[in-house]
Amino acid sequence: SNAFLRRYLLCEVCVSDRRNLSLLDDRAIYTATKAAVARAHGDYGAALSSLGFSVKYLNAHTGIVFLRCRKSHYRLLWSALPFITSLENRGQRVPCFLNCLHVGGTIRTCQKFLVRYNTQQLHRMLPLCQSEAERSEIRKSVLSCTLKKEADDEEEEDE
Amino acid sequence: MSTAKHRMRDKKMRNQPINVTYSSQGSSHWRNGGGTPTGRGHDLSPHPWGHGSSHSGHAQGGGWVRGHQREGHGGYPQALPTHITASAFAKARAAEVNAMLMAVTKTTGSSHVFGGLPKHMRRRAMSHNTKRLPCRLRDMANNMAGQKMKKEQSKSKSRKARRRHGNMLLEFNRRQRKNLWLETHIWHAKRFHVVKRWGYCLGDRPTYKCYRACYRAMSSHCLLQDMSYYCCVELQGPGEQLLAALSKCVVPAGPTFAAAMCVSGRRQGSVVVYRAGQYPLQPLGPVTFLWRPTTQGRGGQEDQGSQGSTHRQLWIWAHPTMKTDLLPELQAVCQCSEAVLPPAPVDLPVPQPAPTPTLAPGPGAGPEAAQTSGSGSKRKWSSREPEAAGPPAKKLLGYSTISATTPVTWRSSTTGIVISDLTMEMVRYRLIGPLSHSVLTETLAPATHTDATGKSRPSPFWWPDHCRDDCNMSLHQQQAGVFNMLRGVYSTAEVPAGSVLGLTVDDPRLTLPNKRSKAVTWSYGTMPSVVSGVNEERRRELMLKGIPEPLSQSSLWDRSVRDNVTHNKMTDQEVNRLRNDVLVPGSRLPTPLQGRVPVLLVQQSGKSQGTEMGSWGAGWDLLLPKAWGMAFWVPLVYRGVRIGGLRMSLKHTQNKGEPHFPHDYPDCPAGARFQEEQEAELLAKFRRRPPAKRTNYIKHGCLAPFRCPWQQLVEEWELIVKEEEGGGGEDAVVPMEQEVTPPQSNFTVLRNRKSLRQLSAWCRPTSSKCQRARNPGSTPQLNRNVAASLLSSHGGSSLVWIRLSLVTKGQPEQHALVCVPTAEDLQLVRKEPGCTGPQEPLHTDHFKSRVKRPRKKDHNKPGTSSSSSANLTNPSSSCTSALTLGLWPEPLPSVTSHCSRVTLGWVTQGDFSLSAGCGEALGLLSLTGLLHTLLRQPDGQRGLVLLRNPGSLQYRFAKINIEV
Repeated sequence: SNAFLRRYLLCEVCVSDRRNLSLLDDRAIYTATKAAVARAHGDYGAALSSLGFSVKYLNAHTGIVFLRCRKSHYRLLWSALPFITSLENRGQRVPCFLNCLHVGGTIRTCQKFLVRYNTQQLHRMLPLCQSEAERSEIRKSVLSCTLKKEADDEEEEDE
Repeated sequence: MSTAKHRMRDKKMRNQPINVTYSSQGSSHWRNGGGTPTGRGHDLSPHPWGHGSSHSGHAQGGGWVRGHQREGHGGYPQALPTHITASAFAKARAAEVNAMLMAVTKTTGSSHVFGGLPKHMRRRAMSHNTKRLPCRLRDMANNMAGQKMKKEQSKSKSRKARRRHGNMLLEFNRRQRKNLWLETHIWHAKRFHVVKRWGYCLGDRPTYKCYRACYRAMSSHCLLQDMSYYCCVELQGPGEQLLAALSKCVVPAGPTFAAAMCVSGRRQGSVVVYRAGQYPLQPLGPVTFLWRPTTQGRGGQEDQGSQGSTHRQLWIWAHPTMKTDLLPELQAVCQCSEAVLPPAPVDLPVPQPAPTPTLAPGPGAGPEAAQTSGSGSKRKWSSREPEAAGPPAKKLLGYSTISATTPVTWRSSTTGIVISDLTMEMVRYRLIGPLSHSVLTETLAPATHTDATGKSRPSPFWWPDHCRDDCNMSLHQQQAGVFNMLRGVYSTAEVPAGSVLGLTVDDPRLTLPNKRSKAVTWSYGTMPSVVSGVNEERRRELMLKGIPEPLSQSSLWDRSVRDNVTHNKMTDQEVNRLRNDVLVPGSRLPTPLQGRVPVLLVQQSGKSQGTEMGSWGAGWDLLLPKAWGMAFWVPLVYRGVRIGGLRMSLKHTQNKGEPHFPHDYPDCPAGARFQEEQEAELLAKFRRRPPAKRTNYIKHGCLAPFRCPWQQLVEEWELIVKEEEGGGGEDAVVPMEQEVTPPQSNFTVLRNRKSLRQLSAWCRPTSSKCQRARNPGSTPQLNRNVAASLLSSHGGSSLVWIRLSLVTKGQPEQHALVCVPTAEDLQLVRKEPGCTGPQEPLHTDHFKSRVKRPRKKDHNKPGTSSSSSANLTNPSSSCTSALTLGLWPEPLPSVTSHCSRVTLGWVTQGDFSLSAGCGEALGLLSLTGLLHTLLRQPDGQRGLVLLRNPGSLQYRFAKINIEV
């Protein structure tokens, strides 16, 4: 399977209710995406895109998902993503939508992008804080993830 | 998945982030990816308590899961707050960033740098050679492998800079600080295996195959060797004083420095030097010597009357290993203790040759040019070069390994003798072969006269001054005449041995042929008119009487002339420029004023002993002033000579049937040193082989395969003879304790000619007719009394140097054993003359178990299993020296009676002789043992011994020849 080129989609799961994040897991993402592809592109499209399709990474706290598919058919998946409106897990239905942030050729580029994206988010949060405690908390977390290597990433941001 | 694959995968994925969910159920155990095994379920699913709380699951994983635990140890609340808190959000992001960073920065798989490279960019041996990595990864790889990688080489100059003349000279001078280089060193280094020996770098053997070709050259054409490493010691003083002093150092009844032919300077002589008054003990080694002819022709008018006590000059040529012993001895004998400090190194005023004043660039010219031409940024060192180089490098000449202030001259106030060490002051080339005279006559041309214009003003060169004297000119013309007469000589050997011819020749570079060709002798019919015009009578006279006395005179003896010639030598560049300026290319160059060199030609006798191949290997020695080495070497090479190295000079003496200096003189200090070095070398070579591939010399019954314990041999033979005389009832095996480490070696090699002649006669089978015919009763018949008297006159501890030729096949090697054949062996060979010979029964190796035992002990001992193999010694065994498998440990048991045949001696050199067509060996035997053997052999088979190589069990019959 190494012989195939891949595409990695970095998506953000946006839910209206934070509590529903607890229901998020990779299986739910997997089934919802497949269903969306089938709906949008039919059986043929679903079959094509299911080759090599997997959920590589999922973070329920931040709602970040890595999806992997074949490069030749990634457009099928990509175009079907906006049609996901809900996820279903354990009989519960979670209304949501998937926001595709990045499409990469390797998982590494997606990881790199995510690092940059997250730090950007944190920095953006910093001036919007309401309380001093909050501010210190955020500052702490910002500092915790900007120890050594992050200097480069920040430079990239500045550019 | 196999465990190995599992482990590989774990290793690869250890830095990758894993899924983070709120799940407290087993839902996360589901493998994603629709059945493809790409999911990361393995880190959650296989664990036994995976169905418990999420906490236990998280605790296993790496990644950012740790962030969770900080948030709440008691699991996550099922009901999340409806609103989002900034702190939780930020923490989650921060944790994710950390996890991703870890995944991105840490390389997957192995810790090598190239693990991060895609497969198609990996190259073989990247881990060893970082240069195979892409540039961007090279630094990282170097850092990682920093401790084991060798230091980065200092930035060396570019090849072009290194090859620049001045820098090259600096480098050469640095490299010859320790070992002297001959003038032909660079030439040799390009073509020869160079070895460091006796403080010199000498060519050992060529890199190309030429063993037989060199032999053919020696026997039918000409072989050239650079013998400049031979050391010359000059003695100056009143003739009588010199002779009186030197007579203490030689065999009283043998050849001395005072041989009539030699004293006159017509012939070169050779003697074996002993420590003063110690004969027959403590020999130092053989030397050749050359007296300067008395100068009757030139300045002889003033001291015609006191002819006996004239000031004489003597050159003693010795091997460099011997010089350290010879020089103090000569100083002691001549009472020369007063060291004369060498003059301060003032540069002789080098006169600029008039026609080419602009050729030699000033010292500053080179660096300046480099600075202006070099762009600076590209070659940074070019600006630094002038400071580093200092004064421009000068080519080292002469004895450069000693400091300039070390005295090389010693004077005696009482005897008036001055000894000076002329090491490397002269170049000595040896031409071996019957056509060496043709090579010489083609290469050298007697010096042309200078025209009369230079007569008025003094010249910086020696030749115009020399020409002013008519005596000199007539002498020169005579010398040139004799030299030209040599062309008609058929073979070098026709000239009397040791003849000396002084000559002044033109620079041979001027007549260098365009192509390499082979010098030939002229057969009598095709001789050109120049040569055939020479009277046949005169040539015959030359061959019979030798070169007349005054013609041996040469200006080479004058130090001032030598220095003048050395300093005024034209460089190759100047000669090439002259060649460039010639109008007709290829025509002969005009001889410049400084192009006259005094040389000495010394005839070297060929094989003078024995019956067959008479005068094989005769040749000429060419003595030149220093710095002229290469100027003569290349023209000689262009005359089609072969070049030999040290190995070929060994073969030369071997074929000539003469002892070679350090090898065949074990009683000299230099010979003993050589034996030690050789043993160490051979032993090291032996130990380098894997033990299973080594010859087991114990099994072959060879006690000392790498050396010859002469001292032990002569002592044992004395004991054997004593016991046989005294009834012979005692135990034949010699007790070992008595002969352990005698304080000093006191055996000698027999060099008395009379005794050797006797032995030589006894060694031949008496039935042969020619033997009788040649020696009509000059030597007494061999019997017990005569042998005893011979033995008593020389002491029991003597060795005899012999030549052995094998009867049938076989190729003797170094350190082969020479043994006494038993009566059955002699019967066997009488019955069947072509038989191969007896066999030695295989010995058993009792030491084999002892060699192995300590290793086993090590393994049994706890904690010392990894100890090195250095402790091979067995503490319980009596011997403390390290045992080597296949070699007898010290002390050796009885060397004579160790094998089934009694040992007489050993072979020092052995090989298949191309001249004799059979195996020939040179070796030494115990005199006692030899006489003992000869007395017991039947008349028809006298001198028949057995020879056995150290790595073989086969004995072969060989005949003893002692040649005087």
